[in-house]
Amino acid sequence: MINGTIFKQTLRSNVKLWLMFTIVLSILQVVMIAVFDASTLENVGGLVEGTPLAGLLAQTTLLSMLASTFYSIHGVIFPIIFIIMTANSLIASQVDRGSMAYLLSTPTKRSTIIMTQAIYLIMALIVMFLIETVAGIVSIQVFQSDTDIVVSDFVMLNLGLLLLMFAISGISFFFSSYCNLTKNSLAFGAGIPIAFFLFHLLSTVDQSLDVLNYFTINALFDTTAILEGENYWWKLSVLLGIGIVLYIASLEVFKRKDLPL
Amino acid sequence: MTVISLENVTKDYGHGRGIFDVSFNVKKGTVYGFLGPNGAGKTTAIRHVMGFSKSQRGIVTVDGLDSWTNASTIQESLGYLPGEVALPENLTGEQFIQMMMDLRKVNDDTRCKKLIEFFELEASGKIKRMSLGMKRKLAIVTAFMHDPDVLVLDEPTSGLDPIMQQRFIDFVKEEKKRGKTILLSSHIFTEVDATCDEISIIKDGHLISSFNKQELLKITEKVFNLTIQNETHFKQLVQKIETNEAIHLLFKNEQTKELQIGCYPSDLSKFIKILADFPVSSFNEIPFSLEKHFMKFYDRRVGGELAWQ
Ligand SMILES: Nc1ncnc2c1ncn2[C@@H]1O[C@H](COP(=O)(O)OP(=O)(O)O)[C@@H](O)[C@H]1O
Ligand SMILES: [Mg+2]
Repeated sequence: MINGTIFKQTLRSNVKLWLMFTIVLSILQVVMIAVFDASTLENVGGLVEGTPLAGLLAQTTLLSMLASTFYSIHGVIFPIIFIIMTANSLIASQVDRGSMAYLLSTPTKRSTIIMTQAIYLIMALIVMFLIETVAGIVSIQVFQSDTDIVVSDFVMLNLGLLLLMFAISGISFFFSSYCNLTKNSLAFGAGIPIAFFLFHLLSTVDQSLDVLNYFTINALFDTTAILEGENYWWKLSVLLGIGIVLYIASLEVFKRKDLPL
Repeated sequence: MTVISLENVTKDYGHGRGIFDVSFNVKKGTVYGFLGPNGAGKTTAIRHVMGFSKSQRGIVTVDGLDSWTNASTIQESLGYLPGEVALPENLTGEQFIQMMMDLRKVNDDTRCKKLIEFFELEASGKIKRMSLGMKRKLAIVTAFMHDPDVLVLDEPTSGLDPIMQQRFIDFVKEEKKRGKTILLSSHIFTEVDATCDEISIIKDGHLISSFNKQELLKITEKVFNLTIQNETHFKQLVQKIETNEAIHLLFKNEQTKELQIGCYPSDLSKFIKILADFPVSSFNEIPFSLEKHFMKFYDRRVGGELAWQ
């Protein structure tokens, strides 16, 4: 089902990119936690009162600050860029360039190739967020030891973000499997996740753009619900479901399609 | 026994591109030449043999197995050399060879080492920095490393220097002697001529001619150049030839007393009997050339209609 040789080769050619993004993501997380100071934020909150930004800065706990910054902007867009680049290089670019022909001229099944590549992408995301979460927890202990923080909420934020990224990676991976040309794979595999990201961002900035929230799966990662103890599980389950369906669709589509190799 | 078989295979890419109703069989232990100009559909046909593409109509089999549904099984005893080398750039040649050996579950690298030596491959550097010729050699080594029974070679000598081209042709002949079945596509007459037993010519997606080289040699007219010692005999001979149905005068030069004569193999002894009575000072056969014979198929203006000359 999964081929060790292909996995090793995939790891070898993709691990540098993964490492870069993992480091950047973890540093961002650590820095944001380190610089948090509840009293400064209150002062800033006073300055922007009455402007659209007031909403963003209204809450002043560490986690709510992270929810409106890291968990809606940095922590989302960086992994998205990683996913876009990696998903495309895993399948579509190899078909486009023709190097897939070498894998397929060995007794390796198409399904094995897809599953091996999918496992790499999923594992890369899991390990990336595992490292980022551990870095976050450690820096909370180091920099915010006197603040009251619900660690389980922090972990849930990261699990939610991981599930969002799993669903998004499903989108990019699907188009990488479906398209024979890198340019098409990127047009959809990058275009859709970035559109989702922007829709969600705009809807949080301005109330009048709330309607955009219905057109983005990023809204299913509901940080407010997580922090306020509302029911968020169904939303996360939907993200998980979207991801699973898309990965299965990628497999089926790649097994059946014509390869211009 | 048929190893590779295409039966009425059609793949229409639109705008008259693709392959249409293509059928041919490659028998065990033979080299099959698939000859045609660029864009004729050679790679498209090979894609179907490899199981990369599914035909819209018709059946493609390798060793009796449907090449679309059994693609991965077929690869166990098949070696493939793609028409365009697109190797994974970030590996070194050695890493790539090792990867292909692992994927093919080949443990013994003696054959691989021999191939590397034979084709003078420098595999230690990054593929990214290799010259085109070196990349092609690397592709050749990986196509033959597992000593497959069936070989599918898409324009194998393009990108090789003339010495390596010759070495490759010798190698293919050697593999044929070892009983391998080879499908070789090319747009170069000489390499097909040098290696193939059966030849098909494809143009604009249609097979326009299929033949066996030996059979063709038997039925094509032989051409001879000869010189006669004196003018009287020259004139007599010309007269004799002109009145003989079996022998054709193609060219004569009264100054040099040279003649060019065409004659089918079946009439050859008649021709020699006539010549026996004449003082011939030189006599030689112009070797048969596929290139000349089939150049007409290459001309764009030919397509079911008459040639332009
Ligand atoms: N995937 C494809 N989609 C559309 N047209 C194609 C595709 N692959 C090949 N063609 C067209 O089919 C024709 C035959 O191409 P090909 O089989 O590569 O020729 P050859 O290998 O003989 O040079 C060409 O006109 C080419 O442009
Ligand atoms: Mg070609």
